[in-house]
Amino acid sequence: MGSMVLYVPGKTFFHKLDPRAKIVFLVLVSTSIFTVRNIPLALIGLGVMIALWGLARLPWKILYGLLKTLVGIFIFLFIIQSIFYPGEQILVKPLIPSFIPLIGGSGKIAMEGINFAFLLIVRLLTMIILMPLVSMTTPVQNLALGLAKMGLPYHISFTITSALNMVPILQSEVSIIMDAQKLRAMRIYEKGKIMEKFKSYTALVTPLVIGAMRRAQSMAVAMDSRAFGAMKTRSYLQDIRLRWVDWAFITGTVAYSIGTIIVASILPRL
Amino acid sequence: MMTKEIPAIEMIDVSYRYPRSKKIVIKNLNLTVKQGEFLAVMGENGAGKSTLCQILNGIIPHSLHGKLSGKILVQGLDTQETPISVLSTKVGIVLDDPENQLFTTSVMSEVAFGPENLNVPVDEIRERIRWAIDVVGLTGFEDRMPTALSGGQKQRLVIAAALAMQPSILILDEATSQIDPLGVFEVLNLVKELNQKYGMTIVMATDQSEEVTRLVDRVIVLGDGEKVAEGTPREVFSDTQLFSRFMIRSPQVSQLGTRLKEAGHPLPVFPITIEEAQSGIIQILNGKKPSNPKTQAPSPKETPAVSTSDVIIHVENLDYVYQPQTVKAVEDVSFDIYRGEFVALIGQNGSGKTTVLKNMLGLLQPTKGKVIIAGLDTQVAPVADLARHVGFVLQNPDQQLFAETVEDEISFGPRNLGLDEETIKARVAEVLTLVGLEEKRQEFPPALPKGERAKVVIASALALDPEIIVLDEPTTGQDYKGCHQILQIAKKLNEMGRTIVFVTHHMALVTEYARRVIVMRGGHILVDSKTEDVFDQTELVLKAHIIPPQITTLSQSLPPELGLPRVALSVSDLANSILDRLGQAV
Repeated sequence: MGSMVLYVPGKTFFHKLDPRAKIVFLVLVSTSIFTVRNIPLALIGLGVMIALWGLARLPWKILYGLLKTLVGIFIFLFIIQSIFYPGEQILVKPLIPSFIPLIGGSGKIAMEGINFAFLLIVRLLTMIILMPLVSMTTPVQNLALGLAKMGLPYHISFTITSALNMVPILQSEVSIIMDAQKLRAMRIYEKGKIMEKFKSYTALVTPLVIGAMRRAQSMAVAMDSRAFGAMKTRSYLQDIRLRWVDWAFITGTVAYSIGTIIVASILPRL
Repeated sequence: MMTKEIPAIEMIDVSYRYPRSKKIVIKNLNLTVKQGEFLAVMGENGAGKSTLCQILNGIIPHSLHGKLSGKILVQGLDTQETPISVLSTKVGIVLDDPENQLFTTSVMSEVAFGPENLNVPVDEIRERIRWAIDVVGLTGFEDRMPTALSGGQKQRLVIAAALAMQPSILILDEATSQIDPLGVFEVLNLVKELNQKYGMTIVMATDQSEEVTRLVDRVIVLGDGEKVAEGTPREVFSDTQLFSRFMIRSPQVSQLGTRLKEAGHPLPVFPITIEEAQSGIIQILNGKKPSNPKTQAPSPKETPAVSTSDVIIHVENLDYVYQPQTVKAVEDVSFDIYRGEFVALIGQNGSGKTTVLKNMLGLLQPTKGKVIIAGLDTQVAPVADLARHVGFVLQNPDQQLFAETVEDEISFGPRNLGLDEETIKARVAEVLTLVGLEEKRQEFPPALPKGERAKVVIASALALDPEIIVLDEPTTGQDYKGCHQILQIAKKLNEMGRTIVFVTHHMALVTEYARRVIVMRGGHILVDSKTEDVFDQTELVLKAHIIPPQITTLSQSLPPELGLPRVALSVSDLANSILDRLGQAV
């Protein structure tokens, strides 16, 4: 099973970028994307992310898997937004006649709603691709180092990046627990009503939490015995230095984000 | 670096109780470990071994509080007054599960982690990495991802990471319990080298008594937090009461010595090694020619009838590829298992055992070939239907406990089958008796001791009344008592007519319980035969890196003219044959 966060070794320019440049990229691009209210502009943003994905030689399979898991949420968002978004260009007449109090007049589908739903999904996708683009091209210890060099205390940056490390472990744990439940004749994961599905997910929580707690105890012992946090200052084997490529990338990121924000404010909505 | 005058470790009247707990886990312990000594700590699960290890490296009381009394000196430093930053340069520790001890994404950065935390200058860190990686034999792996290493390599990496802190004492807390035999071999050889070549003091919590005999200078046995026995391996394992009192498994040759002694035919020297047992047996049987050549044949086990016409598991030309890889994890595997068989599936990690099992249950779908279970094609039948026929117990009990009480846990499966409450109640009562947990029906499963958690999981699988029971490494992390209790349940079920398939790395359990053994290597079946025939093919067994149980190796080392079975499968097997021969000679 491919993990969507774990580092994939590689030698592309994106892998070699200073972690700080990538952190700046992550923060600025995800902020600017929120100001976009125009579909073509949002599509350009998404296109850039997909192009970077290709440049970083990350497996397309993972991107495809990501889309597959999210497609349900997207459809749900699409339906909800198209129904409830207020608009003038009515495509489908209200399902509930307007003389009924309170809920009357809802159920119509407006062009604006469809456009908005589409915009929302494109923006969400861009955000979702951003995360693995950074985490899969940067070893966790370098990410921690980057955050630390940017002024975050090391124990906090290490905790954040360790959480990233835990994701694939939890993923595999979830699939083992689900297997164990199927082996006890549980059918919910194959077919089942939404309520039952929800109930069965709560049955996942107990073993997952207890497992995580046992693991955390062990990890704490192992970390303490390797003097984690024992000294105020710490040395770093890896030396990161911002080279001209990194500065160029940061400049590009800043220009791109500011450009997006400006263009977004000029262009008409949707 | 080392001061010869002071002991490496000195504990004076140490007691400890965990926070929010009344139980005293370490009681008035006194212990001195000399510089360069190799000490083994034995005792059943819950006896206090891990707690002792954590007291020695200062985790208790610095990170884990609780109530600690007495005095602990490590290289002359009082652990209660010395900060972790200093203690971590005196004592390194290796825990059981490597996954919980690796924090970075390359071998090199993993080794650097400790010295970095101590603010060691970068040039010196580089020097230490080079040295530590060289000592553990991982040179050339510097840029590998730790997740891509084998179990043995991971534990060697953890040791390298500890060595980079330049400790003079290394503690191993069940460090070989989660890895395969090949990994165990690698790790123990490394530890031996660290002790003999580099003079490191070693404290090793373990239950592998054969290895203890081979490696250590001294053994202490903990029972309920107290030191109940102490001495050289010979002194400790010669105590015939040891097992019955503290559930310590002595080496199989010592168990044999005990059996013969109790029967009034003691060996001249109480054996703790194969060589001693071998010469002792030759001496007492000397001149007593076998009067009846029929004893030469291995005594057949009394087995419930297995009908070779009743195939219950049919695996045919099975191939499996884990996407997106292209390498076949399992290739062209075929076998039939008949109703009532007791089969062990063995081989190193990565040899394809678990892949085969998962294909048998529909948890994985064959890339090629087919699997038929009790007449159901696994490619068509849903897992929940297969679960009626096969009770599959996965390795880690903690991932298989979902309910709030033992009773609910066991009812989980029958409820999914939609059985009525009456039937469910009856089944719960029946399986609780079978596994011996009647008293625990209202307990919270995850809070039970490890051995009992495993039993709850087995009981839960049995509640579906399956004809086949599959156990995937049920004994990992279990102590001697736990291992045998689990296999005793399996044996009882087998006698009731159920088919048992189990995977384990404990060869003594394989020879003692399984009647048929399938050995896998590199995704293929290497041998598939009766247990005694498999272990008779010494070269093939070695090829799969399987180390036969000590008693089997002993029987193979005895001269054939003694008329003893060529392949003894258990201690009582060989003991009975010897006593038989002595009886005949009288």
